[in-house]
Formats: sequence, C-alpha cells, structure tokens
Amino acid sequence: MWPRYPQRSRRKYPERSDVLMRSILILQIDGSPSANGIWPIALPIALGLVAVYLLLPRPRPYPVVWGSAAAGLAILLGGWFLIRRGIAFPENVLFYAFSAIAIVAGGLLITQRNPVRAALSFALVVLSTCGLFLLQAAPFLMAATVIVYAGAIIVTFIFVIMLAQQAGPSDADDRSREPLLSCVAGFVLMASLLFVLFRDADSKMPSFKAPTFDPAALDDLVTRTRNAAQENSASEIARTLRDTEAFQEYWQAAAADRGSSESRDLTIALESLRTHWQAWKTSGEAQPMKSTLLHLVALAEAMRSQRNGNGDPRMPAENVAALGGSLFTDYLIPVELGGTLLLVATIGAIAITGRRAGELR
Amino acid sequence: MSQLPSLYNYLTVGAILFTLGMIGFLARRNLIVMFLSAEMMLQGAAINLVAFARYRGNLQGQAFTLFIITVAACEAAIALALILMLYRSRRSLDVSLWQELREPGQEPTVDDEPLPPAPAEAPLPKLTPAGLEPTQPQEASHV
Repeated sequence: MWPRYPQRSRRKYPERSDVLMRSILILQIDGSPSANGIWPIALPIALGLVAVYLLLPRPRPYPVVWGSAAAGLAILLGGWFLIRRGIAFPENVLFYAFSAIAIVAGGLLITQRNPVRAALSFALVVLSTCGLFLLQAAPFLMAATVIVYAGAIIVTFIFVIMLAQQAGPSDADDRSREPLLSCVAGFVLMASLLFVLFRDADSKMPSFKAPTFDPAALDDLVTRTRNAAQENSASEIARTLRDTEAFQEYWQAAAADRGSSESRDLTIALESLRTHWQAWKTSGEAQPMKSTLLHLVALAEAMRSQRNGNGDPRMPAENVAALGGSLFTDYLIPVELGGTLLLVATIGAIAITGRRAGELR
Repeated sequence: MSQLPSLYNYLTVGAILFTLGMIGFLARRNLIVMFLSAEMMLQGAAINLVAFARYRGNLQGQAFTLFIITVAACEAAIALALILMLYRSRRSLDVSLWQELREPGQEPTVDDEPLPPAPAEAPLPKLTPAGLEPTQPQEASHV
C-alpha cells in the first residue's frame, strides 16, 4: 500500500494556526459556538476603545483610573485569549514582552498630553519594534532603525523643547479633535483587520499557508523514490512506485510550495519525469527514469535541508551580507532613487525653513 | 509541533500599532504628536513586512523595510521643517489654527469648553531676615 497519502484539501499545518485556533476554541467550548470566535477579538477591542476614549486629553478629563483600568483589562483579556498556553520558549517570552511593551507605549503615545512624554513613549515603541525585528532575523534593520530613529527622536526632543514650552494648559495639548469618532474609526479598522487575520488563520483557504509541505510525508516520498531508483527494470520501478498518479500528484504538491526557487527546479524535474514516463510506456527504457528519480531525490533533500521542522524556509540569522548583496544587485535603482529622495528632502527642508518668519502669514 | 510565534502574531502586533497611530493622528491636535503617530503607523507596516520576509525565507521584505526607513527619514525632515514654519507664523502647535484650509462644506471646529485654569505657581518661601539691624549708622569709607 502507498503509505500516508495526505488528503490535500484537508491537510494543513497543525502549528501554523495553533495559537489562534486554540484561543478561539476555548471560547467556543465555553458556550458561544455561533459567535465563531468573534468575542476574543471584539471584547478586548471594545475595552481598548473605551480606554483610549477615556484617556484622550480633553479640558475636563475623566478620572485616569477608569481609562487605565479599561486599558489594563483590555490587555489582560487580549493576552488571555491570544497567548497560547504551552512551553515557555525564550522566543515566546521575548515576543510577548516586546509586543506588550510596544502596544502599551503606543497607547501612551496617543494619550499623553505632554509631548515630551509622547516622544519618550515613541522611543519605547521603536525599541520594542527593534526587538521584534531581531526576533525575526533582521539584525541590520534593527541597527538601522535604532540609529535613524534615535536621531529622529533627538530632533523631536529639540523641537519640543524649542516650541512646546508653554506654561499651563494649551489648545494643542489639552483638546482632542472628535475623540469618539476617531476612536471608533480606528478600532473598527483594528477589529476588521484582526478578524480577517484570525479567520484566515482558522480557515482552509491557502492564502497564507501552503498546505502541502509535510516533512514526514516528504521524507517518506523521498525514501520510496530512492528505492524505486535502485530497481533495475521498468516494471520493477512501476511496482515500487505503485500508484503513479498519486505519486505524481504528491510530488506536484511538494513542488507547488510558495514559489520558491527549489520548487521551480522540482517542477522542471517532474516534467522530465512525466516525459520519461510516457517514453517508458512505449519503449520500456528504464535508465532515464532512474536518473530523473535520483535527481528528484537530490532536489528534495536539498529542499528538506533548507526547511525547519515546520516546513518553513530557514532564514539565517547572519543575513546582513545577503541583504547588502540583494540591495546592490536586485534593488540598485531603488537604492539610487532613495538616495536622490533623501537629497531632495534635505534641499526641500532647507528651502522651507530658510524663509523669513512671518512670510507665510 | 511548533510552539513558536507564527506569522499571525506579528501581523497582529503590526495591525494594532498601525491603528493606534491612526487614532493618534486623527484625534490629537499637537503637530508633533501627530508626527509621532504617523511614524508609529510606519513602524506597524515595517513589522508586517519583516514578518513576511521571515515567513517566506527571502530578503525582499527586509529590503522594502529599508526603503520605508529612508522615506520615513525624508518625511521627518520635511514634516519638522513644516512644523517649524507653521509654529513661526501662529506661535502655537495647535493644528486647528489652520482650519481655514478645510473643504468648503465643512463645519469649523469650535472649542466650546473652556480650558482649565493654569495651576497656580507655588509661592516662593518667605524667609525671615537674618542678622541684626546695625545700631550705628554705617561709617562712610574714606579709603
């Protein structure tokens, strides 16, 4: 029997959507099956809306305790629903810590009435974003963001010190423009984004995931192909491969993986296998079949060695050199355009500020 | 089975940062805070791009994020220059002072509620004069 043939439409990664699905499932068990997992998203977002609305600056502010309580509750609920329970890998802990700091500091940025504190919160947002970059194997981006935004924040500080030093409340800092409407707009956008994300993580639509790459099944396929390539006659090969249609279909599935370069090679090899197959049916020639099968094995092993246990492509942590190579080969013209844009922006900034005061009146 | 954070977790963080920045840009009236909120929206987009770069195992997302940083630097230069000009002409960072630039049919923003009074300055401490009044008139120096 051909072992472990996957049902292609039903098979999917157990890992990919694990968190989100589990968090949704918890609530479904708790008795809202018809809601289809909408409450784990809607409840923290509604609380966040209330919190930001209460905390936005206005001439007669609500007590800070109410808004802070709502914000804390929203963050706790969101964490409770979204964080997977499981082994606390360092990457997990770091990810949740960095994202929590980024979100809290982002909330502080938009609710602090003092622009100095807003700039400090923005520094926190940038630093935790750099942590997230580092978790995603982007060390050069981390360094570049720190350097560029450190400069930006220092300049902002200079501006705040220069311009925003009024004593007492001011129109700029103590009023908000349509706080209810802007909160509703923002949080409705957030809810729809998150809901689409979660539904996609939950659904069987292959928009983000390739449901076909299963490391164990690929290993099995490779073993079988290697065995078949060691047979001598064409009929032996056919017997080892058994279900040739399913065999081809599964190789095709392994090849249709996210348009990577190795999958392109796999597709080409598969095409030549098909032509040899037809040739074998008429002539009984086995040798080209065998060499193609061996080629397939080599390609699959190369592909396997570039994937981690999830079937995700491996991204080396030391990719600065590769990024530089990519920038100066694939993106040479955009890099030049970016440099020109910086020059134009510098000239523009000088031209704008170089005028006399009062000319704009 | 993997337990590591997946693409969706990073996309979630990016979406939250982006929308928070949008709320800040819409609701706040200080030009500098609006600028910071726009920068935070860019950070959310950059997180998305880097997450996709990691997910697909190539460097295109990271290269694109570098261009985002470039454009953000240009935007910062121009925005701060404009803020400086606007401040020079109105002596305030309030963006509603420029509301005559709005569309023809729009209602103007009117601030009904008065601002709270400024907190009173803490009075300076009154010190009791130390020392004694000289009894004799001070001698003029003839040196």
